Amino acid sequence: MGLLTILKKMKQKEREMRLLMLGLDNAGKTTILKKFNGEDVSTISPTLGFNIKTLEHRGFKLNIWDVGGQKSLRSYWRNYFESTDGLVWVVDSADRLRLEDCRQELSSLLLEERLAGATLLVFANKQDLPGALSKEAIREALALDEIKSHHWCIIGCSAVTGENLLSGVDWLLDDIAARIFTAD
Amino acid sequence: MDVTAEISQEDGFAGESGAAKIKERLEKRNQARIEDAERRKEEKESQSVAEEKDEFFSKTFSRERVCIEELLSSCSGADRAVVTQRLEEATVKTVQLQKFLNDSVLFLTQYELRQSQAALQKLQASLAETRETALPKKKFAFRARTKAADKVSAPVSDTAQADVATSAPASGEVDGAAASEQCGFSNMDNEFLTKTSEEIQKRDVLLTHLSNCKVRLVGSPSTLHLKHIDSCEILCGPVSSSVFVDHCRNSTLSFPCQQLRTHNTKDTQVYLHVTSRAIIEDCHGVSFAPFSWSYPTLEEDFSVSGLDKDRNNWTQVDDFNWLAAGTPSPNWTVIPEPDRKTNWDP
Ligand SMILES: Nc1nc2c(ncn2[C@@H]2O[C@H](COP(=O)(O)OP(=O)(O)O)[C@@H](O)[C@H]2O)c(=O)[nH]1
Ligand SMILES: [Mg+2]
Repeated sequence: MGLLTILKKMKQKEREMRLLMLGLDNAGKTTILKKFNGEDVSTISPTLGFNIKTLEHRGFKLNIWDVGGQKSLRSYWRNYFESTDGLVWVVDSADRLRLEDCRQELSSLLLEERLAGATLLVFANKQDLPGALSKEAIREALALDEIKSHHWCIIGCSAVTGENLLSGVDWLLDDIAARIFTAD
Repeated sequence: MDVTAEISQEDGFAGESGAAKIKERLEKRNQARIEDAERRKEEKESQSVAEEKDEFFSKTFSRERVCIEELLSSCSGADRAVVTQRLEEATVKTVQLQKFLNDSVLFLTQYELRQSQAALQKLQASLAETRETALPKKKFAFRARTKAADKVSAPVSDTAQADVATSAPASGEVDGAAASEQCGFSNMDNEFLTKTSEEIQKRDVLLTHLSNCKVRLVGSPSTLHLKHIDSCEILCGPVSSSVFVDHCRNSTLSFPCQQLRTHNTKDTQVYLHVTSRAIIEDCHGVSFAPFSWSYPTLEEDFSVSGLDKDRNNWTQVDDFNWLAAGTPSPNWTVIPEPDRKTNWDP
């Protein structure tokens, strides 16, 4: 194997990014993943265990993990944390009832050492619903401005209409790419 | 040819930096990967000494737990400043204990994990309770509505004190929005309750702390939450996303929905139309039959909800506590046809 081949192999690996989708159950994680992949979103079941999808976007190979949000699984989330480049935290913007729960889960997640280097994208999902809180309200309710440990960004979106899904993922990729592919 | 293309593309990310630099970075990243692999290997190996770790875990866990419990019980009667300080200490310790548990997941058995998680939840609940009684301070959002809603979300927060200050401006907005938009019923006993399509269309509807009530929700909400329901009969039109059922007993429910997520529920009948699947978690004696309630504008509401009227998977129930393939879960059953309810008159 020549040097160029080795380099190429390594580069192929380099162009892979590992993204983890987390959030409370019913936030819309699976729907976002399927919509992004152009699949039918009307028949999605509550996630048993997890889904892993590998998709190509802008020349990157995205390895996306969608982990079930059920209580009995939450303590296992961390088993999937290793070498995560980006964290997508999905919020049901209409679910005022569990917003405090959502804030707590997120803040304890960000304490995880294994996620220390990961970029955080918060999707304020379900913006198509009339009762949805704005992304600004979500930003305050989740106390995002207090996060100093991670690069983060919040984007209002709808997995049903597809609105803003792309711009969110694009921001995430840009941030990760800048980190991985630029000299420090 | 291929290779060149790949490399020049890669250069796009590298900006001006030279080939040597790229290589250096590749090396670095590869090194990181190797280290990761090493770490994973180590984790695997550590399982072989699981027994010792196990003992270490249970000792440490129960010691910390006792310590937190003592802190909490020492709060009663103490003055405010002392209570604040002790609560803070207890909160930090609880968070650390959760972290310790998380770190030990790899070598714990399912049973131990569950036991410890349950113990932790208890701790968190009594922490919240102690805080609530000793320092009855409005914490954050959604309070205006009802006492019951407070209870439901009674959170343990490691930064609860800080929150009061930092999220004060936000809570105004969220509070207002919640008060004007949280639709539903709470804290009722022995009532007949109804909502019309105009009230619930595309909204999140919450029914909480109801007993001996009959509820008719005509229309198509976006999500339906049922919490702390005892001996009620609750019927609802097509719910476009999920129905959440939590801490419900001795009741009869009926609705069409896209997903059903049932937790901590027992002895409850569900007359269901579900277009994807239903799940149950920590449930006993839940039984299912097909949706059979009807009302004049049901068809219209079905089309508002976007649910497929011809797809009903009411027998497809996943039990999150019963992942054994092949043997059916003992926690749910199908209601035999002769026993099904056919008359829904209130
Ligand atoms: N209106 C609306 N509903 C959504 C949206 N995203 C997801 N849902 C619904 O929310 C429910 C839960 O979605 P799912 O992807 O299973 O959530 P998960 O538990 O986070 O994976 C489903 O009924 C979806 O159809 C959205 O953007 N708008
Ligand atoms: Mg899911």
